[in-house]
Amino acid sequence: MNQLRIHRSVLPKALAMAALAAAAASWPVYAHHSFATYDRSQTLTLKGTVKSFQWTNPHCVVWIMVQPEGGGEQQEWSIETTSPGVLTRGGWTRNSIKPGDPVTVEYYPLRDGSHGGGLRSVTLTATGQKLSASFGDSEKPGLK
Amino acid sequence: MKTYPHRAILLFACLAFAGLAAAENDITNRPPTLADWQALAKLPDLSGVWTPVISDQIAQERTNPPPWTPTVAKQIQRMYDEEKAGRPFPIIDHCFPTGMPSYMLITHNAFELLATPGRMTLLGEGDGNRLRRIYTDGRSHPADPDPSFHGHSIGHWEGKTLVVDTIALLPQVFLAVNEAVGVPNNGDMHIVERIHLLNPDTLADDLEITANKLLSTTWKTTRKYYRQRARKYDIVEGVCAQGSFIEALDKDGNSTFKPIKFLNNVPVGSDSK
Repeated sequence: MNQLRIHRSVLPKALAMAALAAAAASWPVYAHHSFATYDRSQTLTLKGTVKSFQWTNPHCVVWIMVQPEGGGEQQEWSIETTSPGVLTRGGWTRNSIKPGDPVTVEYYPLRDGSHGGGLRSVTLTATGQKLSASFGDSEKPGLK
Repeated sequence: MKTYPHRAILLFACLAFAGLAAAENDITNRPPTLADWQALAKLPDLSGVWTPVISDQIAQERTNPPPWTPTVAKQIQRMYDEEKAGRPFPIIDHCFPTGMPSYMLITHNAFELLATPGRMTLLGEGDGNRLRRIYTDGRSHPADPDPSFHGHSIGHWEGKTLVVDTIALLPQVFLAVNEAVGVPNNGDMHIVERIHLLNPDTLADDLEITANKLLSTTWKTTRKYYRQRARKYDIVEGVCAQGSFIEALDKDGNSTFKPIKFLNNVPVGSDSK
């Protein structure tokens, strides 16, 4: 009976602590960062299917499912780009890329070879439309 | 009888300080009049959406670096080395506001300037809390302002130039030269800006930054911005923390945000539990 009472009092606390620890472990703190993380001396190409297009500040992300050449399970890739405001001014919308779209992506790779990169461009396979993530030529006043 | 003159002085100083603070709090902001709006219309029009000239930011970083003290210069060099190696120092990762003066120096996002009687307001894009209030109603800095990310700013016009004085910045706020290189100001930073039009749609901000804990002398530098009138350049809402989540449905089918998995500062998985 005593033992049962102990369990009743300790178990919820232990569960709460475990939940807190899990939340802390998964809490994302690195949303905004310098793009120096990506190796801009290289541009690589990736083909896959869009899983989702995350249209958020400070950075948007194209999540892509890629079938490895040697077979096996599809792999999730995250290709990161600039903010919705900058993309909007470059002619993008949040619907420019949709889940299920087959795409070819040009990207700056992560230096450790993991499945992520910084976006240079996306080409929609169905239409051939190429969306660029470089806006250096739009640096002037009174843009239309 | 023993006297304590220093205690009397201290008591007087405390009372005077309390009186000053109380006097500040007793002031009422008067409603603007037609004359206030008319006076505003005669000043240079700085209102609208401004996009930073990023290529010039980069050029300035190379040609006019801050006069770092020798100790800080070593930290800065280490950060440049880390950036080159692909391990950028996380200056902005926490989603706090970039803060002043980095707001004007390194941002890649637009800001919108609102000109109203007695005040200029800068609304930044990218992080919803990038907000500067510059009081132009003739007030002084408070006697004991709360430190903040953007500090306390007062402005006045000298001809066609808006002169802005900013103090009371949190010591943790970075003086940054790019998104991966900079150091906290560590207190007592003072910024004077001279904001003026170079031509109808180009704005210059001439900054003079005094930060005795970091710099051997006052650093003078300029940043430029281009005005955009096209409606597609209107500022969009930006909530930095939102970028750490992806849209999802919870077990009851309600729309929710689910944390993204990050590794070494970059998003690596949208299915983190």
